[in-house]
Amino acid sequence: MNLAVIGTGYVGLVSGTCFAEMGNQVICVDNNQEKLSKLQSAEVTIYEPGLDFIFYRNIAKKRLSFTDDLKYAVNSSEIIFLCLPTPQGEDGSADLKYVFGIAGEIGKILKESGDRDYKVIVNKSTVPVGTAVQVAGILKNFGLKNFDIVSNPEFLREGFAVEDFMKPDRIVIGSDSVAALEKMKLLYEPFVRQGNPILEMDTSSAEVTKYAANSYLAMRITYMNELANFCEKVGANVDMVRKGMGTDSRIGKRFLFAGIGYGGSCFPKDVNALIKTSCDYDSEMKILTVVDKVNHAQKLVLVEKVLSYFNNDIKEKHFAVWGLAFKPNTDDMREAPSVVLIKKLLELGASVSAYDPAAIETAKFYLNNSVTYAENEYDALRNAEALIIVTEWNEFRNPDFSILKSTLKQPVIFDGRNIFTPEKMQELGFTYYSIGRKPANV
Amino acid sequence: MNISVIGTGYVGLVSGTCFADRGNRVICVDNNPEKLRKLQNSDVPIYEPGLEILFHRNIQQKRLIFTGSLEYAVLNSDIIFLCLPTPQDEDGSADLSYVMGCAKNIGQVLTKNACTDYKIIVNKSTVPVGTAFKVRDILKAEGVENFDVVSNPEFLREGFAVEDFRKPDRIVIGSESRRAIEMIRELYEPFVNQGNPILEMDTASAEVTKYASNSYLAMRITYMNELANFCERVGANVDMVRHGMGTDSRIGKRFLFAGIGYGGSCFPKDVNALIKTACEHGSPMNILEIVDKVNREQKFVLVKKVMEHFNGDVKGRNFAVWGLAFKPNTDDMREAPSIYIIRELQKAGAVVSAYDPAAMEVACRHFDGAIRYGQTKEEVLKGADALLVLTEWAEFRSPEFNGIKDALKNPVIFDGRNIYSPERLAAMGFTYYSIGRPAVGDDIKK
Ligand SMILES: NC(=O)c1ccc[n+]([C@@H]2O[C@H](COP(=O)([O-])OP(=O)(O)OC[C@H]3O[C@@H](n4cnc5c(N)ncnc54)[C@H](O)[C@@H]3O)[C@@H](O)[C@H]2O)c1
Ligand SMILES: NC(=O)c1ccc[n+]([C@@H]2O[C@H](COP(=O)([O-])OP(=O)(O)OC[C@H]3O[C@@H](n4cnc5c(N)ncnc54)[C@H](O)[C@@H]3O)[C@@H](O)[C@H]2O)c1
Repeated sequence: MNLAVIGTGYVGLVSGTCFAEMGNQVICVDNNQEKLSKLQSAEVTIYEPGLDFIFYRNIAKKRLSFTDDLKYAVNSSEIIFLCLPTPQGEDGSADLKYVFGIAGEIGKILKESGDRDYKVIVNKSTVPVGTAVQVAGILKNFGLKNFDIVSNPEFLREGFAVEDFMKPDRIVIGSDSVAALEKMKLLYEPFVRQGNPILEMDTSSAEVTKYAANSYLAMRITYMNELANFCEKVGANVDMVRKGMGTDSRIGKRFLFAGIGYGGSCFPKDVNALIKTSCDYDSEMKILTVVDKVNHAQKLVLVEKVLSYFNNDIKEKHFAVWGLAFKPNTDDMREAPSVVLIKKLLELGASVSAYDPAAIETAKFYLNNSVTYAENEYDALRNAEALIIVTEWNEFRNPDFSILKSTLKQPVIFDGRNIFTPEKMQELGFTYYSIGRKPANV
Repeated sequence: MNISVIGTGYVGLVSGTCFADRGNRVICVDNNPEKLRKLQNSDVPIYEPGLEILFHRNIQQKRLIFTGSLEYAVLNSDIIFLCLPTPQDEDGSADLSYVMGCAKNIGQVLTKNACTDYKIIVNKSTVPVGTAFKVRDILKAEGVENFDVVSNPEFLREGFAVEDFRKPDRIVIGSESRRAIEMIRELYEPFVNQGNPILEMDTASAEVTKYASNSYLAMRITYMNELANFCERVGANVDMVRHGMGTDSRIGKRFLFAGIGYGGSCFPKDVNALIKTACEHGSPMNILEIVDKVNREQKFVLVKKVMEHFNGDVKGRNFAVWGLAFKPNTDDMREAPSIYIIRELQKAGAVVSAYDPAAMEVACRHFDGAIRYGQTKEEVLKGADALLVLTEWAEFRSPEFNGIKDALKNPVIFDGRNIYSPERLAAMGFTYYSIGRPAVGDDIKK
């Protein structure tokens, strides 16, 4: 099929590349010239395991191309995917100006071409309920008839984006048009050969589904975080409790890890957007209001531990931070707990050396020169009073503890991701604080 | 092994019977004379599918006996299970008087008889973190030395209690004693031969695990309920959204059904107890506080729909109610949404006729004669202004819809459990309200 993908961020670039991999002809559009020139010279612009390989292959096979010419892309395609940003607006709601802006441009283009060919406009961005109807309205205002709107929310996870896109748990397609649903099913069938479902529904339910799933997961994490704080107080071990809960087949063992709060480009904004929409409809999701509040507080629990260890005074103390990205396997820094945590340390008069395997470049946008960026994880440790672990990159899991001990001023670790066990740290002679477990050597 | 089980309610009777069924000798103790008399006459006092067969078989084989004598039981067993009530106190915390009282009695019995045999006291009741230590201290204060305390929370579900006990997802054993853990492990191994885990941990973590699991599930339901209310407002369909969510392998498809709030003897009290303990330790579970509040409100959403449909006035109207138990396959009425809904309707001047396949006898205690009961689900429909479905018993799922239509004054159904399809009911001429899905019918304003 001939496809256009508008917006080549995490979602657009991965979707476009994977669709091309299945033999479709894909034209990707972006209006960011810097990004575009990189893509046009076959350079991958995001950090995403497994992407580069299929990216090069499909460019070479001429199935994947990049342009800023929206008109060309729209006129050459049967299906047009919108993978545009929907960032959080001031009041928490999703900012739809990119989506509506492009819808208007597409309207103009289709009108010029005389509304000749049937087009399916698919919204893959995460958008509030009702957006599909609004987009349809915009196109209708141009007098267009020969089109359908589909809501097809994307569930890929950064860091596993290619794997998730190629083998999704499910595909959700929302539309009122049988013709559009059939076309979409045809496009997606190669991705669900193992039998995972393609779920057809109305556009409203599809739009709600995306927010509902993400917010549910945010709630799940937040519940574990509150529980971890409680476990610490009563001397229980959240790892044990997690296993006890996770073996309940109704609960499941995934996504139950306590830590220092969720971040990233999706959970915080999606939770806030659902809160906002639900309030607008006078049906507040009260649980989520609390989830959001608790999550903000959770980003600072590690700082509290640091403060209480250093008797509330960390002025002129130096700290090493491992991990900046909001989670491993990504360079995404949006809403990362690291930013909140580091800013707080600096505010209290401390200084920071930070290392991250992928996110240093993106981190500079948020932290500028306020911290020193280290070459590698051991380099970050020099002159530090303690190590603070913020992101659970695999390479942090088995470090050379003797270097850690000899480089740090004191063998003290604050672990926001529970990547070591207190027993092992006790044995190795580290003072060790983690989340929801008893500290070691205190 | 020689086991005694103190307290023969849902948990005690099922545990005792299933332990006996694996060849152990089990002495069950209860201090409720009426219950005890029934049990001693081989009469099962609770409704629990599959229990009767095992119960009779093991009584016949003399592996399962019932007594009122705690002394006899304690002296003749190595492992003593406490399956006592831990009801909600006025302030929301768990009332530990039964557990502590029993621990003290056990201590007294052992000391009085100068019994120094090693005993394991296993707590199966749901109790706040720290209780195992308190039980230990009580026994020590009575002068008992040769014993260990184990926390072994029970996860069975009413209605599937036997199945759950015989094939548990997992067994949690919390103890500070190796010896005790090994013995309890041996007792449970026949129940997990398919490979489900036996998780060993400290008592505190085991105690927290039970509350954490139940509260998590209560939160899961409440999230779906809030989402359902939202879906109604925006014209989405919570069933579709549920499919879309449940197919996410991190979320899972079970236990995502929107409805009229959780009830029963466990979720409400466990959520409240965890809220209470967390506050006491200066570490509030903010999420659960809101879960509890939202769940209370959810019990009234169906009443709101009824009131709206009848323009705010139900005085003198008759309502048929299908289902009283807090969930299907049980006669448990504790904290059942039906109680709140029926009382609210009565307060507004309505008359209620109800049918439940198992819980009517128990329900009598809650409503003291203020409602009529029908012998069949059809009987309560006659002349009613509408039908309310409050519990999703299997027998309500495929009724004779023409019969319902003929019997009711108006073909109106308020379904708190989403057991029917709106499209089908609309096609058959019903006005149909459910949870989180668009209402259907000729008289619904679009
Ligand atoms: N990142 C994720 O993990 C993820 C997962 C699922 C869903 N989503 C949703 O998908 C949407 C896109 O997310 P993302 O992370 O890919 O965003 P992104 O910011 O990484 O990418 C958006 C791209 O759109 C381009 N763009 C902006 N305006 C444009 C215009 N007028 N014409 C052409 N291109 C334009 C930008 O230059 C950028 O490259 C959001 O709604 C997001 O919530 C994201
Ligand atoms: N019901 C469930 O589904 C379930 C599931 C898991 C855990 N639990 C927990 O297990 C515990 C027991 O729950 P249940 O539902 O079986 O309670 P229940 O009220 O059905 O049974 C308790 C039994 O203990 C007896 N009893 C009270 N005091 C006694 C005493 N001093 N000596 C002897 N017997 C005495 C009562 O007569 C009653 O038969 C509670 O802590 C509950 O939270 C219940």
